[in-house]
Amino acid sequence: MDFLFDSLQSAALLLLAGDPELLVIVGVSLKVSSISTFIASCLGIPCGFFIAYSSFYGKRLLLTCLNTLLALPTVVIGLLVYSFISRRGLLGSFDLLYTQKAIIIGQVILIVPLVTTLTIAAISRIDQRYRKTALTLGATQLQMAWVIIQEARYGIGAAVIASFGRVIAEVGISMMLGGNARGFTRTMTTAMALEYDKGEFVLAVALGLCLMSIAFAVNLLFHFFQGRTGVDAL
Amino acid sequence: MLYSADRLKKIFKKKVILNLTDLHLEREQIYALIGANGAGKTTLLNILAFLEPATEGTLLFCDREVKYREQELLRLRRRVVLVEQYPILFTRSVWKNVAFGLKVRGLSKSTCRERVEEALENVGMEDFRYADAHRLSGGESKRVALARALAVNPEVLLLDEPTANVDSENQEIILRVLKKINTEKGTSIVMATHYLAQSRQLAHQAILLENGMLSTVNTAKQNDLTAPEKFF
Repeated sequence: MDFLFDSLQSAALLLLAGDPELLVIVGVSLKVSSISTFIASCLGIPCGFFIAYSSFYGKRLLLTCLNTLLALPTVVIGLLVYSFISRRGLLGSFDLLYTQKAIIIGQVILIVPLVTTLTIAAISRIDQRYRKTALTLGATQLQMAWVIIQEARYGIGAAVIASFGRVIAEVGISMMLGGNARGFTRTMTTAMALEYDKGEFVLAVALGLCLMSIAFAVNLLFHFFQGRTGVDAL
Repeated sequence: MLYSADRLKKIFKKKVILNLTDLHLEREQIYALIGANGAGKTTLLNILAFLEPATEGTLLFCDREVKYREQELLRLRRRVVLVEQYPILFTRSVWKNVAFGLKVRGLSKSTCRERVEEALENVGMEDFRYADAHRLSGGESKRVALARALAVNPEVLLLDEPTANVDSENQEIILRVLKKINTEKGTSIVMATHYLAQSRQLAHQAILLENGMLSTVNTAKQNDLTAPEKFF
């Protein structure tokens, strides 16, 4: 137990001192995860809305596929994207391998199904009368869609937060496509894995604390906005 | 003629739920749509509100056939508003709810403000303008839903059981507002109701629906509407 307490104490000191290496790693993680969550949200929310609100042949099959994709391992995505962006791959000429862009591509693939399925769930729970009311009051289809999205905002917000949590905590894609290059593609999780391999637990524990704090802060912010708008907890 | 329906039929899951051979509704009139549960009142209101098409037959609005194309439907829906039996308010303030129809029409802020105030005053809900809509009681919600419909100055107001599950005070307010907008603005009103007394008190004509079919259309104040008690 002494070992754990010593590591926690040293980690806390490292955080308080604002260790430059630690800050860079946290910065890269936040940047990459935020961008991938943003892109995935831009793709997943409209897709989720469309799927939830339309009936078409093969909808159930599509939902099954999306649910299956939720369980897609990060290493499989890493391998798949690697095969495309490696030198010999179809997109090899873009020199994307071992860059932050490569991590973002992989992470977007990872969480688009998550944002989409959670958006479908959030939209499907919305009372059909909202749609009818918006239309009878003269809304266009687009305005009606916006009303529904606004009514489902907490569910959609939860989808975005869950997706952010998924990417900020993943290791496989960041390691395989980012290469864990110091100061460039080293994220919190890949750094933790590396420090663990080296037997250096202080930085790993400090990063673990950072990761938990970020997750806590994001959730706190979400609940704060929920509280301000008068809606009880999800 | 406001609405003309010719051989209008609505079939749902192979069951005919509405079958109107001939129906004509005139402008600036108040119609009471009466009938038992499942008689087809709500279906008819949805069709008249252009929210769902009939399976068969033709519907004319202001002597023009209704074509179910998105652009045309939008134009028509901006002239007709339906207030449902259990109206749902958007999870925002009362003010924003009432202003919704005006905002989607792109009206200026000053016009919005004026119309929202007028609509809220009409239903006696001006003191609730900044209240959270989802915290209102059933009767208050109905009044706000009515104000939201009135704010857009519709040519036709369709109401599904406007006074159902509402206390007598709120009922009185709602009925007074309906009478007022019909007299002052010439708004045509079609309201589904279970209350014969209300029908007599307010409506110029009563339409009796039975199993999706038109039973009678009569001047409410003259006809004998006490007879079909089986409907209520």
